[in-house]
Amino acid sequence: MFKVFAFLKRNARLTHDEYRAAHVGYHCGTSRRLRGIRGYTVNVWANEPLRPRLGALAEDIIRHEPAGFLDLWDGFPSVIFDSYQAWITAQQAEPTRAMEGGLSIDPDWTYSHGCHVFDGLPDRPGEFRSYHLRMNEHIVLPVERPERKLTKLVLFFKRKANLREFDFERQVLTAYAPTLARLPGLHGCLLNFRDPDQEAAFRGYYPDTAWWSSAEGYAMRRQFCSMWDGAFELLFDSVDAFVAARGRAEMHVSLGALERELFDANWYVEVDENIIVMPNRDPAPAFYYR
Amino acid sequence: MLKVFGFVRRGDALTHDEYRAAHVGYHNSFGRRLNNIRGYVLNVRANASIESTLGPLATRITRNEPAAFDDLWSGWGQLLFDSLEHYLSAKTPARDKPGPNGLEDDARVASVGGDGPWLYRGSPFQFMVTEHVAVPVRRPERKIFKLTQFTKRRADLPEELFKSYVSGRYATRLTELSGLRGLIMNFRTPLDVMSRFFEPESDGFTTTGIAEREHFYQAWDCITELWFDRAPQYVAARAQAPLAEQLDTLEEELFAAAWYREVDETVVVNPNRSPAPAFYFR
Repeated sequence: MFKVFAFLKRNARLTHDEYRAAHVGYHCGTSRRLRGIRGYTVNVWANEPLRPRLGALAEDIIRHEPAGFLDLWDGFPSVIFDSYQAWITAQQAEPTRAMEGGLSIDPDWTYSHGCHVFDGLPDRPGEFRSYHLRMNEHIVLPVERPERKLTKLVLFFKRKANLREFDFERQVLTAYAPTLARLPGLHGCLLNFRDPDQEAAFRGYYPDTAWWSSAEGYAMRRQFCSMWDGAFELLFDSVDAFVAARGRAEMHVSLGALERELFDANWYVEVDENIIVMPNRDPAPAFYYR
Repeated sequence: MLKVFGFVRRGDALTHDEYRAAHVGYHNSFGRRLNNIRGYVLNVRANASIESTLGPLATRITRNEPAAFDDLWSGWGQLLFDSLEHYLSAKTPARDKPGPNGLEDDARVASVGGDGPWLYRGSPFQFMVTEHVAVPVRRPERKIFKLTQFTKRRADLPEELFKSYVSGRYATRLTELSGLRGLIMNFRTPLDVMSRFFEPESDGFTTTGIAEREHFYQAWDCITELWFDRAPQYVAARAQAPLAEQLDTLEEELFAAAWYREVDETVVVNPNRSPAPAFYFR
């Protein structure tokens, strides 16, 4: 599938909690109708800082977290589509509204509000800054969600400079991920490597002349991407459940050793996961389905 | 929690698949923004008949299905709120619309998009249920098979005993079905959840509207939701001895009528049965 993370900073007129409402509420009322969307979550960093809740474990499992990382974004949608082609045609409206004449294209379906939710660009009316990044996903432990809010932890990591990309990915896939997936209490574990092509999710989706292709767009994206190479999505009942699992002696030793061997940096962000379209990884049904 | 079902019939200008697109697409895009909503699932009747999905089993386990039952509905929404007060105040403007000066109220949430006259024929049949969660559902990241069982209490069985036996002995037996992912029983209550939710001039409050709704309610007392990965799993599990005979016996004892439908479930707002967070969450 074609998976995209889009890191977005809130509009300066919104508080973090107002941004939640605008993004998860109004904006997703529009974006959940993207043509061909197969799964969609919006992950907003949690209000309560994570580090104090990790206790002594924090010293061991957080290494070289980049300063000000959370200043760069407030939330990131994760979307999945069947293909690149499906992604770049997602904004083509399709009939989803019952009107007097029957099923119609919704004349009010618009993205013009985006600049008011996200980091709008005054000199580019209607546009906003974003880091849309293609992610190459590996399902380590398939996610299963109960009918309650889970705790989602995103483990960002940066490849050790002396490791070749191929070797790094192989080792993360074959050694680190299977060990991580053995953490007790895990409801799901997804591994995402950031695609080396940093423009893969922009190209064809936004016009060629949009902010993403400006000098500022390139520079900001290069800077952001220099901080990390991939991320695990981990779902637990609570932070405490994660601490208990990750703190177990045998797991702690093996994961810690691998982290030092593989990563120049690794750190966690707790996010509140809003499910906008429950992911359906099976083939799409022959009818409108979300 | 307060759980409300709303059964709807598609608008006259829509085919069943067009109704899906309009309900799942536009309408749910507003419904998910209802104030204080804690869960929202939409069930659309599957295109395939239950006979084609379950095969010969369908006939064996169906008893006294009312004629033309499917003419009365195309789908139904299931709403979860913390309280009746939250439910009744849900259809008010939502402060989630971003504008040049920050957040604004969006009045269109108060009318859930305002598409009701074309999406539906008549008013929804809306009622509260009390639920018995026998097996909490866990949803994987793929479309799973959802089966719904409509049952009517035997006339000689008091209502309280019916609820007790269905959520007790019968539910316990059903949990033995191999591959079961979730099991919830929903008993219809007489609580009026329409009067302060729909406009007084709505079709549902006319003599005809009331009569249609009552006709629908006469057919059944309990709706059971069952989730499996695939339909053949259920077919195999329900035919397995000795469970098959045990369930047959209980159904004979408890139900004057029992019939089944497959529905395509859209998780509009994944139900969150934990306490609500102190921020906007869906």
